[in-house]
Amino acid sequence: MTNVVKTSEKADYLNDRFLLFKIDTSYYGIPLAMALEILTMQSITRLPLVADYVKGIINLRGKVIPVLDVRQKLCFPECPYDETTCIIVMDIRGMHVGLIVDMVSEVITVAPDKIIPPPKTFGDKINYIASVSQLEDRIVLNLDCELFFQNDLEIAMA
Amino acid sequence: MSTDDVVMESLLEAFIHETDEMLEQLDEILLESERAKSITDENINRIFRITHTIKGSAAMMSFNTISSLAHSVEDVFFILRENPSRLNIVFNSIFDLVFKASDFFKRELEKLQSGEYVEGDASEIITQLTRQAAVIKGENEPEKSSDVAQENEVPDTGACLSGDGIAKILVFFENDCNMENVRAFMLLNQLQPYCGELTSIPLNPETDAALAAEIIKNGFTIICKPLNSLDEVIKAIEGSLSIKSYEVLVEEVKESNEPSADTADGNNAEFSSQASLDSKNENAKTQVQTTATGVKQSLISVNQSKLDHLMDLVGEIVTAESMVSRNPDIMGLRLDNFNKSVRELRKLTDELQDIVMSIRMVPLLGTFHKMDRIVRDMGKKLGKKAELITEGGDTEVDKTINDAIVDPLMHMIRNSMDHAIELPEQRIALGKPESGTIILSAKNTGGEIHINISDDGAGLDTERLLAKAKANGILTKPESAYTEKEIYSLILLPGFSTNKEVTEFSGRGVGMDVVKKNIEQVGGSISISSEKGKGTTFTIKIPLTLAIVDGMNIAVGTTVFTLPITAIRQSFKVSDESQIIHNSDGSEMILLRGECYPVIRLRDLFGIESARESITDGILIQVDSNNSGYCVLADELLGEYQVVVKPFPIFLNKYNLKTQGLSGCSVLGNGSISLILDVNSLRND
Repeated sequence: MTNVVKTSEKADYLNDRFLLFKIDTSYYGIPLAMALEILTMQSITRLPLVADYVKGIINLRGKVIPVLDVRQKLCFPECPYDETTCIIVMDIRGMHVGLIVDMVSEVITVAPDKIIPPPKTFGDKINYIASVSQLEDRIVLNLDCELFFQNDLEIAMA
Repeated sequence: MSTDDVVMESLLEAFIHETDEMLEQLDEILLESERAKSITDENINRIFRITHTIKGSAAMMSFNTISSLAHSVEDVFFILRENPSRLNIVFNSIFDLVFKASDFFKRELEKLQSGEYVEGDASEIITQLTRQAAVIKGENEPEKSSDVAQENEVPDTGACLSGDGIAKILVFFENDCNMENVRAFMLLNQLQPYCGELTSIPLNPETDAALAAEIIKNGFTIICKPLNSLDEVIKAIEGSLSIKSYEVLVEEVKESNEPSADTADGNNAEFSSQASLDSKNENAKTQVQTTATGVKQSLISVNQSKLDHLMDLVGEIVTAESMVSRNPDIMGLRLDNFNKSVRELRKLTDELQDIVMSIRMVPLLGTFHKMDRIVRDMGKKLGKKAELITEGGDTEVDKTINDAIVDPLMHMIRNSMDHAIELPEQRIALGKPESGTIILSAKNTGGEIHINISDDGAGLDTERLLAKAKANGILTKPESAYTEKEIYSLILLPGFSTNKEVTEFSGRGVGMDVVKKNIEQVGGSISISSEKGKGTTFTIKIPLTLAIVDGMNIAVGTTVFTLPITAIRQSFKVSDESQIIHNSDGSEMILLRGECYPVIRLRDLFGIESARESITDGILIQVDSNNSGYCVLADELLGEYQVVVKPFPIFLNKYNLKTQGLSGCSVLGNGSISLILDVNSLRND
């Protein structure tokens, strides 16, 4: 609960700021307000009987938090973790979740007019993209975190 | 108590706590008396005292409604105290009324606790009580008046007895301390244990707020006959709050005074009996009060969140201890002195842990008494007769667990009363005793607490249960495939209620599934056995404490599991594959001392590829579960650890790990995580 409050307080100066990470060759962004910290890759305790992209749980200073592989969740082929692989710990509805990403790139500020709605996709495949930021040299896909965790949260919150 | 700067809040806390305790006592006395069909003099006195104290302390906290309701209850019992024989006239209604009053007090206390206090309206109960008082009094006018005369006699005689071991003490309260009359009353209450006879000028200061002015002007005179010595009384006065000065006016303490004998000699026979009765009551009162104060002094109430924090800290210490003692840097080194110190540390942390656990333990008795009330109230409402027998109320459980099982127990008792126990006529027709019996028992079986709720009611009707489940569409396989146990556990499913009509107490179909959920939340389980027409027994099994378990860490591939030590029977190597019996469905079994035990390979169950495949490379651990024993195959044993149980992150609730044999996880000394196995749900049968 406290985290939620903090997030809304922070929102003022964290507005328009995004944490960028890289999966495969493309850049993704999440609102900086939701990111709590970035960890280097560490040993993960595997859990049986969970979805493939749920890699297990880690011990973050005595707190047990689950970690997900974003690559797998976004249906990219698996690739071995290397020294650039990171875990972004983020806060979603007061829960802490770790996201395994190929590389954390940077924090950027994007003016609201540079953010456009995502392109329409065909078929009923789930699209986790909330919006697209147009930067000078590249394009960043902003993740819709609520949507991204939707199937995990549905039952977790019930 | 020695300083004035008592924070209002802590006073309020103390008030709530004390009143709560007294209300519990009151309920207990009432239930006991109602069952015995009479109230003993002793109990009338106790009730009188309880309401009297509640009245006084409520007045001091200026909770007027509570105070005036307590006053009217007190009035009724005051009259009863004088005329125990009048009790029969009002026997039934008086209990209902006093229970109502007690419920009212409890509601007020709850409101106080929640911090949003709006005084409730007790006028209805008060009117009824006054009417009752009139009924008792009214039918007995002449006798009553003589009683009043007698009553008046007592203080008078007391006053003129001043040469007979009676002390007069004039007390002045501090300027501007307010509510002098209530303070005077509290002071009298405090002096009660030390005095044989006690009266004051003005008399009954708490009844009239206007007396405060008089007390400020003339002081408050206490006339008492010290039980042991006047020094005690004076010490008590000195220890009281807001007292500016006191003065002993008359002091003629006789050596070895015997109040009843002395007073009786100089008075008529009628008075002698009155006096000896009085002094007997006073003595009883004194005893009760001294034990009460004795207990109070050695008890402190602590905020539960502090205890929770303490518990967390102890958990951290246990982890830190194993972090040090099993540090990889010192592995394989021979460190005699170090090991000695570690053993010492271990001993202390163990002790610390035991103490903290025991602090959190509360007996189930309080919870059980609440059930008494439910059986009584429901029996009256439904016209059923039933008796609740409780056993093992002194069994202690963790406070968290105690709190978590109150609601489920209440619900189940309600269910038993509502659905199981038949109406008296039906019971007689069935050849059962007219009054039903519900047995609520608890026992400690080492690592677990077993709570049984059994009734001698109708029992569960498997056919009706099945039909009902079918109608609600919650059957998952053909009807004939259900075993008896499975049918019983249907009632634990959401959306199942066997009663055709929803009643006031139960039967909304959100019952047993919530019970099950609540119990599972504290790591417990529930099972049902029943015989049609004979009765039903619910068994709740809950772990003694939640937080720390002694476990054997076992490795399966790269994953570390923790098995609770209490579940382990033995562990052994299998030297020869041929010892394994292959069942026709592909499952494996092993023969141990003439009994067959299934073998569970954790590797296959949890899909851990890095684990050893051959059964001869691993180690078998025989465990006891609720239903039966079985063997678990692991790669190797890592040793015995104390682990702090942490629940899985709620994010993972979706995967229902709890029902798949994993009860939680734990952070090990080296920072890695072990998964705690739940032997009862590991094997689905």
